[in-house]
Amino acid sequence: MEPRGLPRLLMHLGNGLVILFIMLPIVAVLVGSLQSERTLQGESRRVIPSEWTLDNFTVILTQGQQRGRIFEQATYLPDNIKSFYRAFANSLVVALGVTMLTVGFGALSAYTVARLRLRWALWLMQANVVARFLPAIVLMIPLYVVVRSLGQLNTLHAVILTETGFLLPYAIVILVPFFANIPVDLEDAARVDGCTRFQAFWRIVLPLSTSGLSACAVIMFIISWHELLIPLILNSRPEFMTLPVIVASLVGDVHVFFNLLMAICLLSLLPTVVLVALLQRYVVEGLSAGAVKG
Amino acid sequence: MTAADAAIAARRGRRATGELSPHALGVAMNLPTICLLLLVLAYPVAYAGYLSLHQVGIAQLRRGVFPWNNWANYTRLFEDPLFALALKNTIIFTLLVVVVEVILAIGIALLLNRASLWTSRLARLLILIPYGVPPITNGLIWSFMYSFQFGFLNRILFSLGLIDDPVNWAGNPDTALYAVAVAYIWRTLPFAVLIIHAALQGIPRELYEAATVDGANAWQRFRAITLPLLAPVIVVILVLRTSFAFAVFEEILAITQGGPGDATFVAAWYSYKLTFSPPNNIGMGAASAYVLAILVGLFAIAYVRLIYRRIG
Repeated sequence: MEPRGLPRLLMHLGNGLVILFIMLPIVAVLVGSLQSERTLQGESRRVIPSEWTLDNFTVILTQGQQRGRIFEQATYLPDNIKSFYRAFANSLVVALGVTMLTVGFGALSAYTVARLRLRWALWLMQANVVARFLPAIVLMIPLYVVVRSLGQLNTLHAVILTETGFLLPYAIVILVPFFANIPVDLEDAARVDGCTRFQAFWRIVLPLSTSGLSACAVIMFIISWHELLIPLILNSRPEFMTLPVIVASLVGDVHVFFNLLMAICLLSLLPTVVLVALLQRYVVEGLSAGAVKG
Repeated sequence: MTAADAAIAARRGRRATGELSPHALGVAMNLPTICLLLLVLAYPVAYAGYLSLHQVGIAQLRRGVFPWNNWANYTRLFEDPLFALALKNTIIFTLLVVVVEVILAIGIALLLNRASLWTSRLARLLILIPYGVPPITNGLIWSFMYSFQFGFLNRILFSLGLIDDPVNWAGNPDTALYAVAVAYIWRTLPFAVLIIHAALQGIPRELYEAATVDGANAWQRFRAITLPLLAPVIVVILVLRTSFAFAVFEEILAITQGGPGDATFVAAWYSYKLTFSPPNNIGMGAASAYVLAILVGLFAIAYVRLIYRRIG
């Protein structure tokens, strides 16, 4: 069944096009971030600039302290670019908090769905599947009004709680098939030996599902790292902005040119792209588990 | 109660060991989830319905009093030509994204499945990269790709000698929605490819071998074996992507902000602008978001019916 001759050539060609399509924006963000505004504007018909520079990254990573050659004469740098580290730390706190809460609460719920054979647990599962489709904007309008009236705008915990509520249904959907795949006999044996159900869950099911829990955790971290709408609406003060909010705030700022934009884009995509590359197996497992069974 | 449960209960007397009944344990273990879902999902959905039926603006927010306004938010919504346009754009965008994505995903998954080709193995290594790119970052990268004067796409086409004048990809009302769709497809394609690829690997090789022995050609094998066996995951992808594409937001924000003119005004962008930019018509924003949610909800219910048909 091995393709030979022309079909084989066409397949190589198809793969080449796929690779080209995937890599094109990645090449664009690299080339764009490694040159100056001068070459970007002056050589607007060239793909490869005549000069390369790291100044875009220097100015972001030193928070505007070291301007480098290409920003020497710049009088204006947006404040949000200067608060890169703060935003990075906020993103990290939010993503880690959301990951821990969703995986923790999700595991407890997923176990009841997978094992306890309760009619209402199945309803809860169906509600979860439906909840996954709710457009975020529907919830953000009332949540904005509620969080505002509670005086909790511009806090990280409101963002963490909201994102956890949003992602919890997906976490449960991902975890259920992993738990369901663990042989019931192991638990039954433990319970015959005197374990309670909860102990069986804690000592047997959880340790045996580390790959499922890791898969779920990686996906939760990636999605919460990417989340824009929730922190955008709840947090408007710079000290509480996350990285995607900083990136969004630069849209339409006419004083920021593509070289600096692409540099901050590269910095904001690097953590999760590296995560996806390193933990590909878990991402694949988690996404498949979350899609096929529901 | 299964035989195993009965055996366990018989062996050591359930009550004597102090073990919770399945119902009590189920409630206890679901308590955090239920509380959070009530707080962050159920209550806001109900409250959005309340807001959508009342006059809510910044002035009302300050006073904390939302006067009833007799369905005016909805009547004004359905009289607003921009809302009709936003819905139309959303539907065009969604149809385009879903159809293109499913066809591409099947083709690419079949290609990646050829493990004997080194290009297939390379593509399989790279295919997940877009999944790691934050949506808003993706939008901004594509706005650089599409830029009229300085864009990366035009640079490539100039270098190859394919164009003499720059093309205004995202700034032309006729192409802007398609430009956003391409950016969106780039980010969301890996998921679809991955799911179909996983399903392909579950198809037994013997089926193909038997069909080949019977004289079926490649197309016949695809039609008779591959496609029917992929049908369940294709449906999953169709429904998931339809629901999510209906609420597209980040790429619109980064690439076109609804423009040029209102060529890329989509439903989520309409709700966002109405609510969060002056004059902050929160009531009507909630009404428009509700309409969007109901449309998406119909898909979601169909999806759950489909998945749980056997159990239910």
